Parts: sequence; structure tokens; C-alpha cells
Amino acid sequence: MQPIYVLVPIMAAMLLIALLKNRRVPGPIAIIGSIVALATFPFIEYGTQSMAWFSAGTFSFTITTLITPASYLLLGVILFISPLIYIYSTWYMDKPSEQRRFYIEILAFEAAMLAFSFSGNFITFLIAWEFLSLTSYLLIGFWNTRGGPIVASRKALTMVLIGDVAILAAIGVFGATFGTLEFSSILAALPSAPAGAVTLGAVLLVIAAFTKSAQFPFHEWLIDAMEGPTPVSAFLHSTTMVKAGVFSILILLPLFQYAKLTTVILAFGLLTAIIATLNAAREFHIKKVIAYSTIQELSLMLVAISAGAVTAGIYFFFIQSFYKAMLFFSSGSVMKATGDEDLRKANGAKSNKLLYFSTAFGVLSLAGFIPFSGFFSSIGISSSLAANLPIYAILSLISFGTSFYIFRWFFYISAPSSDPDSETNYRAQPKRMLFPIVLLAIATLAASAAFIYFPSFIDSSQYFTPAVSGLPLRADISDAISFMVLISIAAGVCYLIYVKNRAGQSARFARLGYTGPAMNEFYKHFSNFSLEIVEGAALFDSYVSSFFDDIGRATVSSGYLIRRASPGQINYYAAFFAIAIVLFIAYIYA
Amino acid sequence: MSYYDYIPLLLPLILVFGNMLIRLVNSKRAQLSFNIAMLFIIAAYAAAGIAMGFNFSVPNAYTINPYSLFFALLFSIGMLLVNLLAFRYASDYNDFALIGSFALLGMLLVAASTSIIAIFIGLELASIPSVFIILLSKRESVESAAKFFVMASISIAVFSFAAVILYGSTGSFAISSYSTGAAVAFAAILFIAALGMDSSIFPFNVLIPDVYEGASAYATSMLGGINKKMGFAALIQIMILVFITDSQAFLLIAILSVLTMFYGNITAILQKNVKRMLAYSSISQAGYILIGIAVSTPSGIAASLFQIFSHMFLFIGVLAIIAWLESRNRTKIDDYIGLHEDNKFAALALSIMLFSMIGLPFTTGFVGKFLIFLSAVNANMVWLAVIGIINSVISVFYYAKIIIASYTSKAVPKKAGMDTQTKTVIAVCLIITVIFGILPQPVISIASSAGTFLFH
Repeated sequence: MQPIYVLVPIMAAMLLIALLKNRRVPGPIAIIGSIVALATFPFIEYGTQSMAWFSAGTFSFTITTLITPASYLLLGVILFISPLIYIYSTWYMDKPSEQRRFYIEILAFEAAMLAFSFSGNFITFLIAWEFLSLTSYLLIGFWNTRGGPIVASRKALTMVLIGDVAILAAIGVFGATFGTLEFSSILAALPSAPAGAVTLGAVLLVIAAFTKSAQFPFHEWLIDAMEGPTPVSAFLHSTTMVKAGVFSILILLPLFQYAKLTTVILAFGLLTAIIATLNAAREFHIKKVIAYSTIQELSLMLVAISAGAVTAGIYFFFIQSFYKAMLFFSSGSVMKATGDEDLRKANGAKSNKLLYFSTAFGVLSLAGFIPFSGFFSSIGISSSLAANLPIYAILSLISFGTSFYIFRWFFYISAPSSDPDSETNYRAQPKRMLFPIVLLAIATLAASAAFIYFPSFIDSSQYFTPAVSGLPLRADISDAISFMVLISIAAGVCYLIYVKNRAGQSARFARLGYTGPAMNEFYKHFSNFSLEIVEGAALFDSYVSSFFDDIGRATVSSGYLIRRASPGQINYYAAFFAIAIVLFIAYIYA
Repeated sequence: MSYYDYIPLLLPLILVFGNMLIRLVNSKRAQLSFNIAMLFIIAAYAAAGIAMGFNFSVPNAYTINPYSLFFALLFSIGMLLVNLLAFRYASDYNDFALIGSFALLGMLLVAASTSIIAIFIGLELASIPSVFIILLSKRESVESAAKFFVMASISIAVFSFAAVILYGSTGSFAISSYSTGAAVAFAAILFIAALGMDSSIFPFNVLIPDVYEGASAYATSMLGGINKKMGFAALIQIMILVFITDSQAFLLIAILSVLTMFYGNITAILQKNVKRMLAYSSISQAGYILIGIAVSTPSGIAASLFQIFSHMFLFIGVLAIIAWLESRNRTKIDDYIGLHEDNKFAALALSIMLFSMIGLPFTTGFVGKFLIFLSAVNANMVWLAVIGIINSVISVFYYAKIIIASYTSKAVPKKAGMDTQTKTVIAVCLIITVIFGILPQPVISIASSAGTFLFH
């Protein structure tokens, strides 16, 4: 079956929701639509398919779909997670008035994401990318009567638009260089391509990928995006859309290797991972900790892929979805029960045992404890890259930090709640909210088994032309043991700080290094630097409000002037005309 | 030479004289039916001509070819839609119909002219009625009409000056290629400046937003939707047929397109009045169209023609919604808050058409912009394409403002019904935007044949 048919049930669901007046049906329709789409998944075929859309002159515009093992996995993740997201949403998005808009927007997102995952040329890629930007913007700003989401959505839009400019320019460069926009033809023509143009296009593509995947210096938007509804955070901003950037680097990897950009990607990935880890350990917003963690994981995927551990990177790309979506679901449930988003007040998760244990599964997996899938992905990446000692050392430090911040988060939410109402709230949470959480907790465990099967499934030589010499997927016992020791120590330290000495936690925490002199300087340096770049490069808002405002105001006020001095306007216009013509003449005869 | 060759002349004349006669009856419905029928016949003739590949000319009068038929088709359908709007919103529809038919005659002449003089007459024939259309559209529009009149007279003066210079140095008014010389190059500049007013090219567009804002929305829909396209019809012909060898003039157009895009997009961001914002938006769209002309290849012209087609329907469609809201005293962006609760169709149509102006896939706006940028890339003008891309990204900010406002809930929603005429116009524009956004091939073929025709 052609992968494009996956979109049919999603589109049908959107149409039905748009047509039906009943405010109760959108949720169930979305669930059914996404389950039908999931049912088509086993029938999707590998390979390339093209459909001509239109042609102009010698150029023909085709929709090409391409299914590789990596895109097959991404497709599977989207299709598997989406029904769970909608099931959770039926509980979380409880206002009847907002149902239709929410489901239409999120289904549109799913369609765009599915199209992205099977895009086989830059045209399909561009269309999907644009719709991803749009739907992400709409969903972050979903609660458009509040102030925060509006600002956040605008910030996200700004970042994403930088990416859009970059991607369009990259397509222009590739189109002019290769004369085709098909991925396969571009990759095949690589060896004889002019290096300068390919590098330019690849740099633009990396910029675009970094904006989508929230990499330094564009990572800030993802944190602000947490203003959106929790199902949106769980779907777009942790498991699917933010991976679009990583995915585009993954499927076009030979391009970046040819342009010798992998080292740059690696460096930025490591830098982002460090920044995100440190931030996650200091953050007090329940969802933002997880968001920083997402940024860090995306960085690690980029590190793995660009350093050559392609199979390990793809494995991580695959399994990260399950526990990440689940941790967001848990956050949402805690927020609903306590009505608070601050970790110091949003707690008491122990009151609901099922929620508590499922969340613990996710936390253990994220930290990397055996036998959860997180362990295999961490060990896969670090073992595959063990030959490169500096990277291995930094990765070990990052795993230490990861284990620390996620247990800190977990100890906060499971601490006894001071709010007496929260316990009844926890107990009142229905089964249909818990179902996705429990299912994802199981998936987190089950995905571990995929580790054994993975090397035969992802064979990088199968779908990259020219073939990429990827490092084999490995898991060394010695690495595993040292890794387990490391993360256990981190968890233990965290336990001592946040459970045993809750009263003096902030003082001890400060002494324990994160605000200690060396670390502080280190972090400050990067946080300020990153903030400066983010604000300098990305805040189109301020760009608009200062520079454009002035011009706009000048125009508006000149309009008023004209209106007041009506007879003068003829002179004004005629003068304008004359000056312009004089300038043109000067231009022609100069 | 057969009598059939005079049909293209006959049809608009029947429209004009028929309108004069029916005006005596003073019946709105009769006038509307007549106009719709006649415009439909003209459009059908143009469509049939395109399908059958008409290519003939009546010496010293007009020429019927894929290029002129393309514009005839656009102008007649556009005028039909504007007539529907005017029927609903004009204080005196019969006057509009009569004056508008003169304007249409002028526009058709511009697109089908064989000589500079015919273009001159066509421009006059279109501009003077347009002044009256603005003037009659609303009580407060005198100022707007006066400004338009000033602009039109300066541009006509400059145009005739250019024609004289061209005649002086070449001894001919014919639209055909001449060897370049200092005087010919000067004439090229003056033609760009003169037609820059109608096609709202920077810096000849500074009064355009005032005019568009001051006129009633249906009149604005004609100015931005059709008059402006007439300016392009003349500009493309003159630039390609007369000045194709003058590479400096085309570089000037490229520079002007950059300035026009930036001017339109940047100033649009701060506007509070939606119609004024749309005026700036239409200026920026003119900038995109200019890219295709600056590229000056058959595919560039075809892309520009597609964009002209796309923008005409988008502009008329959006202006129909603006006209409808204007009749309810909702003109500012803040007044658009809660539109989706008042009228779902209007909010949805508005959003889709604005998305199309942004250039979102599956709309004509996407295809048009893509073709334009592609033609620039293919002609080794990647920088122009990149500036165009940056501009279409800037434009998201103000288009999104309108969309967000109309999908923001307000305290007291008030259902608002829409009359049949407005609904028809919006529906037609919306359907064309979406259908030809998904299946653009027919329009691309027509635009390509019109574009390549100029290069023979």
C-alpha cells in the first residue's frame, strides 16, 4: 500500500468533526480515525513512489513518498502514539466549546507529520514542513484567550519561520545545483556535485533542522511551547514534530557528510545537551523539566547520528517517544489534580498508585536503568562511540545529569502533597486517562526487546546511497556496569538531597555544584550567550516592534499629514514621482 | 479577414451600449442580469478562444492571442464578481454597471493592443471611469477619488511622454522590439514609472493605500483586483515586446520588486484597518509578480501570470468579506475578533484566502509563489528568490493577525447572516483558490501559452 493512503482516515476524521455539530463526538471520531490509520500500518510498503502533480516548462512537480526503515519507525511511532494522545485528550481537554477546534488542529498536525515521515523529495518535505509549522503554532497558542500562550506561540512561530526561510533557500540552492528535488537523485548525484553549493545548502538545512529540533541557539522556543495544552506537549513537542529536524538530518546524512558538517552538528549537539541538562536540574516548572530533557535527547540523537552511530541513534529516536509521551501524560495528570505547575506545589502523585508506578517506569527508563529501553539506548550510543574518549566522557557526565534531574523531578511530584483536595482529585481521575499511561509504560519495557532485533532491521547501507559506514550497534558489559553505577550514584545523590533533607534542599543543592563557582561560571556563560543569540537572532518580535514600528508609524503619520494638508498632497506625490524618475535615470546612465 | 474577427470588439461594445440603454429603465435587477450575461459571454468567448488557439489581429486596432485572451478571461470574470458586490453594496448600482463597463472596455483594450497609442487609450478609458467609481462608492470618498485622479493623471502624462520619446527615436508606435539607445532606455524608465502607478510599484504607490482605504470595499476590490492587473498586462507586454534587450531596465525591475515587497510587507504589519492592511499586502503581492517580470523568461512571465490570476481572486474574495463587515461597521482588526462565532463561513473563507496569500500549500498562492521563485532560481537569480522568500515570511505576521483575531472568542457572539451575492463571490473565489491550488495544471498551461506567446 502506498503510504499516502495513511492520510485518508485522518482527513476523513477531520472532515467529520468539521461537519458534525455535536460537541461530544470530536474526541471519539479522532480516536477512531487514528486507530483506522494505525490499522493500515502493517500494509505500508518500503520503497519510493511518485505522483506527478503539475509541471511548468521543463520542471515537473511531483509528490514522492519514500519509506526507509527509519521513516517506517517514525511512521509507526506517530500512528501508535496518536490514538493514545486522543484518548488522553478526551479527559484532559474537558471544555466542550474547545473540542472541535482542538481535534481539527491536532488531526491536521498528525496528517502533516505522517506526510513528513514519508516525504521522498523536497516538495513533499516542504509542504509537510510548512503544515507542521502552522499547526504547531496554532496548537501552542491554542488557549488564545490567555497571554502566555500567545507570546509563546509567537516565539515559536518566529523560530520556525527562520527555519522556513532556511529550508526554502536550501531548496532553491539544491534545485539550482542538482536540477532535481528528489532525495534519491540528489544523494546519487552527490559525488560529482560542486562542494561549495552543497555546503551552502547543507548549512541552511542544518539551520532549519536546528530550529525545528530546538537545538542551540534556537532551543528556547520549545520551553515556552509548554504553554500549550499537555496533550500537545506530549505529541508535538516531545515525540513527533521536534524530531523532524533530526529526521531530516538522518535521511540526508550523506549530504552532511559530503559537506563535512557532521563535526559541527556533533559539537552543537553536545553543547545543547550540556545546556539542557544543567537547565533541567534547575527548572521548577513541571513540564519545562521534561522539555529540557527533550532538547537534551534530541541533541544526543544528533550526536549519535553525526558521530556515525547511526543505528544506535535511530534506536534512541524510536524508543524515546514512549516514555517521553508518558512523562508528559503524568505531568498533565499531576497538574490537573493539584492545579499547580510549580514542582514545589505540584506533588502527591503517590495517591494514585497506578499513575505513580507507571511514571516510575518512565523515570527509570529515561535515567537509563536496566531493563528499560532507555538503558539500551544509552548504552548503545555510548558503547558505539566508546572509541572516541572525549565524547564518551561527556556522554557519561550527561547521563549522570540526566539521572539526577529526572529523579529530582520524580521526588518532587511524589512528595506528599500539602493540599488536602489533591488526593481526592487523584483518585477521581478516570481509567481512560490512565490507560495511555499504563500502555506506554509497558511499551517502554517492551521496546527493550527491539534492541536485539535492531541491527538487522536498520542496515544503513540498505537505504543510503552512497552507503554510510555506520558504527555497529554495540552494548558492552563493562560500559553497562560503569553506566549503571554512575546513574545509581546520581539517583542516590538526588535521593539524599530531595528526600532525606527536604528542608535544607536549596542550600545543599547550591553547595552541590550546580551553583558552585566553576559550574556557575560555566553555565552562566552559556546561558547568557545562548540567551543573547536566541534573542538577537530569533526575536523577530522585537525586530518588528522596534524597527518596523518606526517605519510603520512614520507611514501612518505621513498619511495623517497628507490628509490634513490636502492641497499639498499633489506636490508631494508629484515630487515623489519626479525624484524616483531622476534616480532611475541616474541609475541607467551612471 | 472575416467578420468573425470583429466579434471581440463587438462583445464589449454590446456591454457598454446595452448598459446605456438599460440604464434608462432604472432597474437594478435588469442591469445586473444584463451585465452578468454579457460578462459571462465575454468570458466564454475568451475561454473558447484559448481552447481553440485564436491568434489573429485587426490591423491598427487589436490583437487576439493567448496573452490578450488570458487577461480578457480574468478581467471579465473579475468584473462579474465585482458587479455582484456592487449590486449589494453600491448606493447606485446602475451607475456602477454603466461606468464599470467603460472601464472594462479600456482594460480589454490594454491587454489586446497592438500599439502604444491603443494602450494609452485603454488606460485612459479605464482610469477615468475608475475615478468616478471611487467617487460614487461612498460619501467620504471624494478625497480618495481625488488622489486616484492625481495619480492617474501624472501617470498618463508620463506615459504619453514616454510614447513620444519612443516615437521620436524609432518613428513607430508599434509594440515591437527596437534597438536599444539612450532614448529608448529613457522611454523604458518612463513606461515603468507610468505603469507603476496602476500596478502599485514602489515608489509610485505611496498614495495607493489611501485610495484603497478611502473607497468603498467593492470599489477597492475592483481597483486592486482588476485595475492593478491591467497595469501589469500593459507592463509585461511593453517590457517583453519592446524592451526585452534592455537588461538594465530588467535589473531595475528586479530592484523595484525588492523595494515593493519590503515596503508593502513592512508597513502592513502595523496597520489597524484591515482594508489598509490589504492595500499594503496587495503592494507586496505586486512585488512578487514583478520578480517574474524581472526574470524575463517565458517561465517567469508564466509564473507572474499565474500569480496575477491567483491574486485577483484572492483579493476580490477577501474584499468581499471586508465589504460585508464594513457594512456592519467592522473595519479594524479588533472588530474581527469573534468572526468565527458570528459567521463560520466568513471566518473559514477569510483564513483560507489569507493562507493562500501567505503561500500555504494546496492553494493557488503557493503554486504562484513557487513558480515565481522557481523561475528566479532557474534564471540564476537565487538572490531575488531568497528575498522573495524572506518577504513571504515577514508577511505571515500580519496575515496571521487577521486570522488569529477572527478565531479568537469574544464575550458576546452575535450571529450575522450573509446575503447571497457576497456569499456567491466569496464561494467562487474560495473554490478557485482551492481547486486550482490542488489541480493547477490547466491554469499553468494557459499562463504558459500566454507567456511563451510574447516571446515569439
